[in-house]
Amino acid sequence: MADSRPKKAKICLCIFLCLLVVGVIAVVVGVRMWRHSSEHMKWNGTGSTAHFQEIVLERCYNYTQLVQPELRDRDCQKIREAFRNAFISKDPCSATEEDYHPLMKLVNPTVPCDKTVFWSKTKELAHQYTKVQRELFTLEDTLLGYIADDLNWCGDTGSYEMNYQSCPHWKKDCSNNFVSVFWDLVSKRFAENACGVVQVVLNGSISNAFDRKSDSCSGSSINDLKWIIMQRNIKFTCQDNYRDCGPFADGRQPSPRESMTSCCLTLRPNTSSGSF
Amino acid sequence: MEARGYARSRRPLPALLLILLLPPAAGAAGAADARWSGQGTIPHLQSIFLGRCAEYVAVLSPELRDKNCTAIWEAFKLVLDKDPCSVLPSDYDLFINLSRHSIPRDKSLFWENNHLLVTSYAENGRRFMPLCNVLYGMVGDFLSWCRQKNASGLDYQSCPTSEDCENNPVDSYWKSASIQYAKDSSGVIYVMLNGSEPTGAYPVKGFFADFEIPHLQKDKITRIEIWVMHEIGGSNVESCGEGSVKILEERLEKMGFQYSCINDYKPVKLLKCVQHSTHPDCALNSFAEHLCS
Repeated sequence: MADSRPKKAKICLCIFLCLLVVGVIAVVVGVRMWRHSSEHMKWNGTGSTAHFQEIVLERCYNYTQLVQPELRDRDCQKIREAFRNAFISKDPCSATEEDYHPLMKLVNPTVPCDKTVFWSKTKELAHQYTKVQRELFTLEDTLLGYIADDLNWCGDTGSYEMNYQSCPHWKKDCSNNFVSVFWDLVSKRFAENACGVVQVVLNGSISNAFDRKSDSCSGSSINDLKWIIMQRNIKFTCQDNYRDCGPFADGRQPSPRESMTSCCLTLRPNTSSGSF
Repeated sequence: MEARGYARSRRPLPALLLILLLPPAAGAAGAADARWSGQGTIPHLQSIFLGRCAEYVAVLSPELRDKNCTAIWEAFKLVLDKDPCSVLPSDYDLFINLSRHSIPRDKSLFWENNHLLVTSYAENGRRFMPLCNVLYGMVGDFLSWCRQKNASGLDYQSCPTSEDCENNPVDSYWKSASIQYAKDSSGVIYVMLNGSEPTGAYPVKGFFADFEIPHLQKDKITRIEIWVMHEIGGSNVESCGEGSVKILEERLEKMGFQYSCINDYKPVKLLKCVQHSTHPDCALNSFAEHLCS
């Protein structure tokens, strides 16, 4: 009986110490998790697309195996790595074109002559067009455009994680974010590589078909475009309701008030195309 | 191209390009070992499968966020351990159970012999939701897969088609997916057939006939609308009320479905006309009389 009390005390002490250790571990883990969750910056734009890495890899394989099998020898793992390395661990408002150079080197975007389609404010229609006319390409029908279309991505300085909570908004945060810089760069390359006859699908139903009011080939915004093109020694023709680009894919015939303007540009030899 | 019986032309033009561009070395070696008449397993099958699932959940249908793509892949993967001529549709039951989701009413689009047209018209599930825009149809679209005949591991040279054996992985997959798709369809059902197909617009033995029609739920379906499309400037082999289309109509009538049939449904025809804008059949004034009423 006299022996059981010290023994009991020892047991109690052991239990107390164990609880103390567990408590300390819990506190430390909790603090680290709280710090980790608040580690990501808070931006005004939507966060990175969930499962971004898997989607990028799958789209690359899909494109190189099924859409353009002549690109079958492209290393999609390398492309995914180069894409990720462009922005991971970096300040999401510090993007430059140089960040994407390793990725650009792996992917050489060449579209055959006379097959390029540009678009502005007509994304769905332009894509429907190239989906049916499979030999034509919008930017999103090239490998990089196909991979990145509708996705969002950004990282954080010093972190190997992508930020899935938020990413910089182009207007409210910064314009030199990784998504905007990516699209600027691939658009530029796409335009620089265009040759032969180029098609452009614009929306004549809105007030800014090409940055100014217009509703037809004689409108002022199209005249602005015409002036820019002709300054670059490129022949310009424009057709209202160009049959090959419309009517609306849901079968609606455009009413006289609605119109889909489409412009065709022909490049003269030894001149480069302009970018829009 | 396999386009008879059960083997629907699920792998048209891109697959044809794939065959033509196979490296000669692989082709020669493959020819020596190839036992089956179909394409081999697609390289990087797992990455493509998981990525498509992730994309479907994240980008195309965020309301499916509870879908576990890893679990769905694990369930699908079970058939990759089986003899490639012993895979039954029921082997995909777990896969279907984990990946099935509801199909919006009036959005189901069944088809035969016009895969690409259906894909274009459906607009990624926005206008219609054919089987290839449903999760359990999308992950396998245009792909092929099978285990090697006498060894574990995937066969990248060739895979069996219905000409080799009935219970092959790909056909069983589509049978299983078709059954589920038909069961989950409701409202107005649309069917797109190819009236320029020489063997007939409605294959009497095919996925639609054998696995989809039998599983349509009469109490959930209001009516069935058939579109018989013809190639622009192509042959008019069959139209509504003719040949195999008549067989289909009679079958639906016997089953108690209200049905209607339209030749060259205008919105789809307009889409086909994008590639034939100068053809007289595509002159806009030939549409005007129908659209202005």
